[in-house]
Amino acid sequence: MSPSDFKCPRRAGFLFPHECDRQSPIGCTDCDNGQMNDPFAQRTDRYNYTGYDNYAGVGLAGLHHNPNDFTEADGEKLVRSKKQYEDDMTAS
Amino acid sequence: MAARGGLWLIYALGGGWGHLTRAAALALASLPRNRIRILTNSPYAARVHSALPQLDLVILDPSLPLKTARHETIRQVEAANPECLIVDTFPRGLGGELPQSLAALAATKVLVHRDLNPEYVAESNLHSFVASNFDLVLIPGEGEGAAFHDLPAAAITEPWLVRDPQPRARPGGTSRVVVCTSGNPDELAWYGQAVSSLRTLDPGLDICCVAPARPPGCPEDCWVEHWPASDLYSTADAVIGGAGYNVIHECAACQVSLIARPWPRKYDRQWMRARRAINNGWARIVETPMEAAIAATDQMKQPLIHERVKIRNGASGAVALIERKISSPPATSPAR
Repeated sequence: MSPSDFKCPRRAGFLFPHECDRQSPIGCTDCDNGQMNDPFAQRTDRYNYTGYDNYAGVGLAGLHHNPNDFTEADGEKLVRSKKQYEDDMTAS
Repeated sequence: MAARGGLWLIYALGGGWGHLTRAAALALASLPRNRIRILTNSPYAARVHSALPQLDLVILDPSLPLKTARHETIRQVEAANPECLIVDTFPRGLGGELPQSLAALAATKVLVHRDLNPEYVAESNLHSFVASNFDLVLIPGEGEGAAFHDLPAAAITEPWLVRDPQPRARPGGTSRVVVCTSGNPDELAWYGQAVSSLRTLDPGLDICCVAPARPPGCPEDCWVEHWPASDLYSTADAVIGGAGYNVIHECAACQVSLIARPWPRKYDRQWMRARRAINNGWARIVETPMEAAIAATDQMKQPLIHERVKIRNGASGAVALIERKISSPPATSPAR
């Protein structure tokens, strides 16, 4: 498979997970050269905070759905939309 | 390993006229001392070839699907087995197809560093990619190379021109405006409207619209099909054009004022180039065809600049730098 056909299956990100858009795991600082299966979940620089992809809120009555909770859709919106490059052989 | 005295392959993929014209400028400066081949997918490649039949062009179909185009490009690069691979603008290739070929080739690798969108440079980590994959980074005109100019391998030349600047030669006493269309067919209508606006403002004006097809709204008698358009600049009092690499530097070299309409491009920042031209005092930026026509007719009354610093063709200097790099010891090659 040529590098241009590579599609990384891993999740990257700090606050919100998003698709990894790198062309190759080689030299990737997120998955450490392909050694991590899930760089988003396995980050070690969040100190004591855990459950970064759990958006359910904790209210007085315990864990329940709150309409003001963040959802995965909010995460999608906060991730900068990526402009596509290297996908048009007529560009300049 | 490719033999010394071998082929120089110029990777000049990309839409429009610009990449191919810059490659042709370098090739003309290098012939006949070196064997040159240009790999292009410009829709205008056949026209360029008919004007310069001495060039060895490999023309890829611009309508090829992305994956096929990538594979065909790699195949052409490997089949050429060049002594020197010269990559115009896109370090990883326009489709991101070059990294493996760059690593595998024993050739001297040269990047021609036209302006490149910094967002793309950052996202693809191109600075370190260029540092580790290219032996020489040629910046064809100061101001073009913002992304990699700090690399030890970088060298600035004067802009590359497919024709050496000609002395001014205005026909008769009539004022002339040359309208040079861009390579994107979707933009032709803008130029057609600029021509018709010029004719409305000054019916006696000599208008020469150079385009691969007659723009909508452009009178038949104003349209010419000619390449390179810069042949006509020395006859003009003003040029209306875009703000791509060639028209900007060619107008500067021909000492003709440019009414520039920068167009959005995926990788090239035409607005930045146009602003630099304004700072140098010989261009104006416009947006609408009527603004362009008014600016051009104003130009007839009040020239922007009478005499500017002479610009020489930097292509010969670039060839000399490449030849020197090829003959230098391998120890100077980038770390891989």
